[in-house]
This record gives sequence, C-alpha cells and structure tokens, in this order.
Amino acid sequence: MRPIAAALLVLGVAGCRGEGRFPDRPIVLICPWGAGGGTDRVARQTALLLEQDLGVNVNVVNATGGQGVTGHSRGALARPDGYTVTMMTVELNMLHARGLTEVTPESFAPLALLNRDAAALFVRADSPWTTLRELEAHIRTSGESLKASGTAQGGIWHLALAGWYARIGDDPARLTWLSSEGAAPSMAELLAGTVDAVCCSLPEAAPQMASGRVRCLGVMSAERATARFPDVPTFREQGYDWTMGGWRGIGVPRDTPEAIRNLLGAALQRVATGAEFAGFMDRQGFDRTYAAADGFRASLAEADRSLGELIRSEAFAAIRRGRHGPLVYPAALGVAAAVVLASLLASGGLRRRDDERTEPAGWRRLLEGVGVVVGFIILAPHLGFLLTMGPLLCLLFLRLGVSPARALATALTLVPATYLLFGTLLRVDLPRGPLGW
Amino acid sequence: MSAGLEAVLQPSVLLTILLSALYGVFIGAIPGLTATMAVALLIPVTFHLDPVHAIAAVVTLVACAIFAGDIPNALLRIPGTPSSAAYTDDVHALARRGLQERALGVCLVFSVAGGLFGSFALMFAAQPLAGLATMFGTVEYFWLYLLGLGCAVVATRGSALLAALGLILGLALSTVGLSTAHGSARFTFGIPELYRGVSFIPAMIGLFGLSEVLRNLLALGGTGGAEPPRAAPGGGGWRVGPVFGFALSALWRRKGAALRSGAIGSLVGMLPGAGADIAAWVSLGLSRRLARGAPQDDSDLLDGVSDATAANNSALAGAWVPTLVFGIPGDSVTALVIGILMMKDVTPGPGIFERDGGGLVVGVYTTFVVANLVLLPVGFLAIKAGSALVRIPQRILLPIILLCCIVGSYAVDSRRFDVGVMLAMGLLGFALERWSVPLGPVVLGIVLGSPLEDRFIGTLNTSGGSLRAFLERPQSLVLAVLCLALWLSPLVGLVRRRFAATR
Repeated sequence: MRPIAAALLVLGVAGCRGEGRFPDRPIVLICPWGAGGGTDRVARQTALLLEQDLGVNVNVVNATGGQGVTGHSRGALARPDGYTVTMMTVELNMLHARGLTEVTPESFAPLALLNRDAAALFVRADSPWTTLRELEAHIRTSGESLKASGTAQGGIWHLALAGWYARIGDDPARLTWLSSEGAAPSMAELLAGTVDAVCCSLPEAAPQMASGRVRCLGVMSAERATARFPDVPTFREQGYDWTMGGWRGIGVPRDTPEAIRNLLGAALQRVATGAEFAGFMDRQGFDRTYAAADGFRASLAEADRSLGELIRSEAFAAIRRGRHGPLVYPAALGVAAAVVLASLLASGGLRRRDDERTEPAGWRRLLEGVGVVVGFIILAPHLGFLLTMGPLLCLLFLRLGVSPARALATALTLVPATYLLFGTLLRVDLPRGPLGW
Repeated sequence: MSAGLEAVLQPSVLLTILLSALYGVFIGAIPGLTATMAVALLIPVTFHLDPVHAIAAVVTLVACAIFAGDIPNALLRIPGTPSSAAYTDDVHALARRGLQERALGVCLVFSVAGGLFGSFALMFAAQPLAGLATMFGTVEYFWLYLLGLGCAVVATRGSALLAALGLILGLALSTVGLSTAHGSARFTFGIPELYRGVSFIPAMIGLFGLSEVLRNLLALGGTGGAEPPRAAPGGGGWRVGPVFGFALSALWRRKGAALRSGAIGSLVGMLPGAGADIAAWVSLGLSRRLARGAPQDDSDLLDGVSDATAANNSALAGAWVPTLVFGIPGDSVTALVIGILMMKDVTPGPGIFERDGGGLVVGVYTTFVVANLVLLPVGFLAIKAGSALVRIPQRILLPIILLCCIVGSYAVDSRRFDVGVMLAMGLLGFALERWSVPLGPVVLGIVLGSPLEDRFIGTLNTSGGSLRAFLERPQSLVLAVLCLALWLSPLVGLVRRRFAATR
C-alpha cells in the first residue's frame, strides 16, 4: 500500500494550488448551439479575445440540444464561481414561456449584451413576390397557406413570421411551418421548392443572397442594417409596425460573487468594444449592439415580457402544437417493433447465444468493470479526474491479476497522460476536484 | 488556373497539409473526438492564415480524421464516426485474429481511392451535382433515410429480422428528448439532461466499445491463466507488405466497385441533409446485395468494408459541392468552413469560382488531391503505431479501453451524464449481443431517427395530412420505388428459400 499512498500524496500536492486571484484556471464558455452556427462563431471569437484579456484558457463547450434547454440550464445550474460562463440567446426568454424549462433570465446574472440580429424574410429569386405588400396580398387572396421554414417549430423565426401574420390581421395558425434544424437546411428546402419562404437573420442568409438565388423582402428591425446589407428595406419602411429578432449575450449563474462579475464584465466590455471584435462581427455580417450588465438586464426583462405575452396569447397556442402530435411517430415505431418481434418469435429467430462460457468469476469481473464507470460518475465531481481515475484504474488492474508494481506504473503514467492530452491539449473540461485537477 | 496550383504547391502550404494530416490522424484515432471538433479547435489558428492555407488545413484534417476513425474501430471496436459503425464488427473480427494490418490497409487504400474520386467529382461536376441537390426537399430526404435504414438491414450479416429489430430499437431511442418537429418533450421523465436525447457518440462508444470490454471481462481466463495468443502472425515491424499488399491487389481486382462506391459517396455526400454515414451504409448494402449470399471468407468480408470506406471518404468532398455552389453547408465541417471563409471576406456561392481568377477554387481542388495522397504515408504510420496496441496483454488492455470509453464519451460535451449514457448503452449492447442482435443498425437508428421523424411529420404538416404528398414529385417517386425494392428484397429472398426448401 505504501507506494500507492505515496503516489496519492504526490498527485495531491501537485494538483493543489493556493486560492489565488480570479481567474487562475481555464474558464468554460457554454454555447447552447452547435459548432459552425452563428452563435458558435460569436462564442468562439469572444472566447479567443477573452482568453487574451484574462490570460487563462477560455474553452467553448457546445452543449446543444433541446432547442437551447440543455445549454441554458447547464449554464444556469453551474457552480457560481465565475469559471462557467454562458453564451445566452433569445431562447432563454422563450423556453420557460413554452413550459420547457424552469430556467429564466432571472437564473442568470447578465454580464454583456453582444449582438441583436433581427429576423428577415426571404423568398426565391424567381418567386412572384418582390415586396411585402405583394406577399400580403397573396396570403389574403390565396386559399392555400404559405409554407415557410427557418428553425424548429415554435422557434424565434417561426414566432417572428407568425407575429407578422397576427399584425396584418391574419390567423398565425394559417401559416404552415416546416420544422428544421436551422437556417441552412431551410435555405436548401427553399431552393428545392418545398417551402415558399424562409424567415431567419440576415447573416445566416448572406451566402444565398450573394449568389442571387434568394431575395430578401424585408428585415424586422427598427432601422436598416447599413453596414453590410444597406439595400434591405425594413418592415417598418413598408408600412408594417413589426420588429422582432434574437440577441446574444454573456451571463453567469445568478449567485456569482459581485467582484467576479465585475471583473468578467469589465473584460467583456474591453472585448466587445475593441476593434478586433468589431472587425469580426462586421465581416461575418452580425449586428453589434453592446450593453453592460444593467442595460442588458433591462432589455432581458423587456424581451421576456413581450415574448412571453406573444407565446402565451390565444393566437399562438395553435402554432405551438403543430398538426401531427408528438406520439404519431413513436406509435408507428411501436407497430413496426410488434410486427418484427412477432415474426421473430414465430420463426424462433430470437435465441440466446450460448457459445460463450460464463463462470461466477467472469460475472464478478464484469461487475467490477461496470463499477469503475459508476465510480467515475459518482466520484469525479468531488475528487477531480486524476484522483478518481488513477485509483479506480489501479484497482481494476489489481483485480484482473496484474502485478501491483505494473498496475501502479501503468495507472500513474496513463491517467496523467490522458489528462494532459484531453484537458490541456484538446481543451476538454475534465472534472476538477478540491485539489485542482 | 495555374495560379491556384502554384498557390497550393508552395512549401508553406505543403507543410500546413502535413501538419494537419498528423493532427487529423491523431484526433480521428481518439474515440469520442470528431473531425468537427478538431476543426472547431483549429478555427482560432485559421484567423492568422490566408484562405488557401486555412482551407488546406481543414480539408486535410477532415480527410485524415475520417480514415483514422477506422483504427480504434478495428483495434478497440470503438467506431470513430457513425459511418464506420457500418463495418465495425467486420474489421474488428479480423483484428482479433491478428489481421488488423490487412483490414486497416484496405480501409486506408480505399479511403484514399474514394477521397480521390470525390475530389475529381467536385472538380469536374460541381455545378450539375449541385443542380441535382436542389431537387431534394423534405419528402425526398424521407425516402433517402428509409433507403439508408433499409441498407442497414440488408448489409448486416445474419438474420434480417434481428437487424430490423436493432434498427427499430435505435429509432425508438432517438425519440427520447425534445422533438424538433413539435418542440415538446417526450420520454424525458422530467430530467433536463434528457432533453437533448441520446447523443450518438457516447451511445456508439457504449454499444460497441464498452460492451466488448464487458464481454471480454466475462470471458477472461482466471488470474494466472494463460493469455490467448493475440500477436499477429507475420506483420509487425515496419514492413509495407502486410498493409498495402492485399489492399492494392483488392483495389485492382475491384476497380469497378471502387468507382461505384465513390459515386455513391459523392452523390449522397453532396446532399445537405445526408452525409458520410448514409453513404457508407448504402454502399455497403449495395455491395452485399450484388455479392449475393453471405460473405464466405475474409476477402468477401473486406469487399464490403472497402466499399463502405470508399463511399464515406468520397462523401467528404461531396459535402463541398453545395457549399461552394450555393453557400449551403453540406455537413457540419463545411458549416465551419463557411465561417472561416467569411472571416477572409470570401462569401461562398457562385462568386467564389471567380475569386482570384478561379485560383481559390482550384486551390480547394488541388488541396483535396494532395491531402488524400498525404494520407497514404501518414495513415501507414498510424496503422503501424496502432498495431502496437494488439500486443498489449488483455488484462492490461481492457482497463485502458475502459478509460478510453469513459474519457471519450465525457469529451464530447464535458458531461458526466454522457458517461452514464455510455454505460447504459454498453449494458444494452452486451445484452443485445447475447441475443445475436447486430449493433450497427442500432447506431444508424439513433443517428437517423430524429431527421426521419422531422421529414415524416414535416411532409404530413405541409400537405395537410395527405399521404399522396409522399409520392407527388417525380424525384420522390423514383426514391420511393428504390426504397420499396430494397425493403422487399429480403422478403423475396425469404420466400424463394422457403419455396426451394419445400420443393
């Protein structure tokens, strides 16, 4: 046991660091959306500049899924020590109103608003509509409903277009929305002729506009996006008092200490108002609207009120449902499974394989293997990666009959090497314990 | 034209390609790390590079990472990507008998062949291919996904019914979480982590990697018992023969099949809603169908593997077709590429073909060819380095693979919950294997389940619930017929066998 105790001591001392000033270790920036999308690009640029400003690594984690629920709830429920910051998006205002999560803007302490991208409406270049008035006339006179896409059912762009429907006095439920994973696949549907229009932000559609295959009928902002899209008229210019859009900003969990919030807020202000960030945002076609903590908090509350009103209103209850319920597909799968299982049972095709010898010792080893995984899940957040994985691996080696010296040597080289590889080189946010790692 | 060639063939670009190749192989060989993640990590670096260097880095990295995913696939039974899951059991079976260099050599040579085919398709047929891509809407994708799922049933060795069972299980797992089609939570039991559903990388690592560890732990000899012989007969050392000998003769023998697989890869890869995974399965399915009858020996087994691996590498170049022509990303990597290009004030779309007198596009083409050629030596080194793993005794190797499974599934999202998913899937995979249910179709089901539902519900919603919408357009009719033919073919075979048996 002595070498193991000594090794643990070494690990402990090496992993231990005094409580220095903030930040003294890598910061995680949670992005609720996937790599390659607009939010991810803004997040990665922010992380890069924040890293230069703070002098520690800022690692982006794409916590995707659940239309933003995953990332936002993970960011809100993180340890409030300033080492987990979140790239929040407009869905934060919407998800709780739709009853999908308990997390609200109140769960966060906002630090900096970075951008506001208004919704815009696109049609194919060969479509008959060149202005919103012409489209409105079509919607009113045509018996068929307009087919549109741009995001998932009930997402921000769906809400934006349906809101315009309500504004022109039409029933938002008459809009047929094709749910999609994002603006890019929606554009592909538009070109394929499956949908008549796409609602998304201007930068998301920039390549298609440049290619001349897609026409923008208007943008739902108060003023034109003069920097990159000066020719795109606003809805307001065309006589519709309707604005709607998304925003992106950075926040930390609500209970984060004030000193840390101020430090991060000041760093974000330097980043967001610096020339390099401005150059990046302009080239990507993103709007730049900076607001510090207080201004951001006020605009969050305002967005929460207006979006919440919209989502909870009578007219929108219908668009939140869609026509074919969520259990249609699982039910179809159930039928298919029943058919396959029945044929298997009838033909005797479902039989247990008995070509493998099993002995009690084998099952015990199997359970020990499972135990290592369970042990990692339970212990890692308390002890950190090294102190969990090192002993667990060592133990498994010993149980499998590896000599103690060899087991210790292998575990002692392998686990720190894995940590260096993933935690340092590949910037994975491995679990950290009280001793550091 | 020649300006573009010169731009790529300068020493600094070639050095970038070489470094990216090493990085790509390295990342690809680590379970849980994807090419998309590698490119995302590379983005800050590309800010300091000019467009040709940046594109060279991305293209090379991805091509090498996809091949390198085959290394843990064969040696540890952990597929690097869902497209490798199509032939995991085939290559792993060979590796267990010490033939890993032959199996990986086939993967390498056919990857390069497929990659080169894809590059040439991109070079000479980008515009017409892109025109074809605009014919694909919701309905067509619905049929294409069904086609891919059908191929998984056809391509899997053993009972088609068991494969179908695995497939349906995978599809059922994919319904957990918040559905895109409705925006409502299903089967989540109030657990917020389940809103994103079962992520496919932890699931894949669990189903294949962990279940294999568990199976081996169960079967491992008692303490002090003799190790089963695992070292390769022949092979070893740095000899080129074991890696390339068989593979090159196979390529020569099956040139037609390689071309066919390359074409499938390019066609499927260029569709923004489909990628390398479906390409690999369709190619494998077709290959097994054409071969008629179950694979008899290693050579037959590797025929299918080579077709699948050629198709998935060819699909990578295919994904650039809509990216360059329309500015619509063909996959998640090209989505990142669009961001990188826009940083350089280059807007993807038709305009890109005139950029620098066409130099930029020629630069992309040339990079694809050079990157695939560089893959040959770099991949060879990786195979040789990886083969050392096989010589490690089981009782040391199994805990190491277990570590890989844990860290790999954690690394995807830095989430402990995913380690739990990996464990659950590992136990499921272990149980399924004891009942002879193949695991490849389960993975495909998880990957395609949600897109299939989106297209299914989407078509119903836009048509007002009429089933006629599934067959209205000529292109969807063609796909539907293909799909039905494929789904019915095992039934026909079954009936024929029954008939022959009774006669």
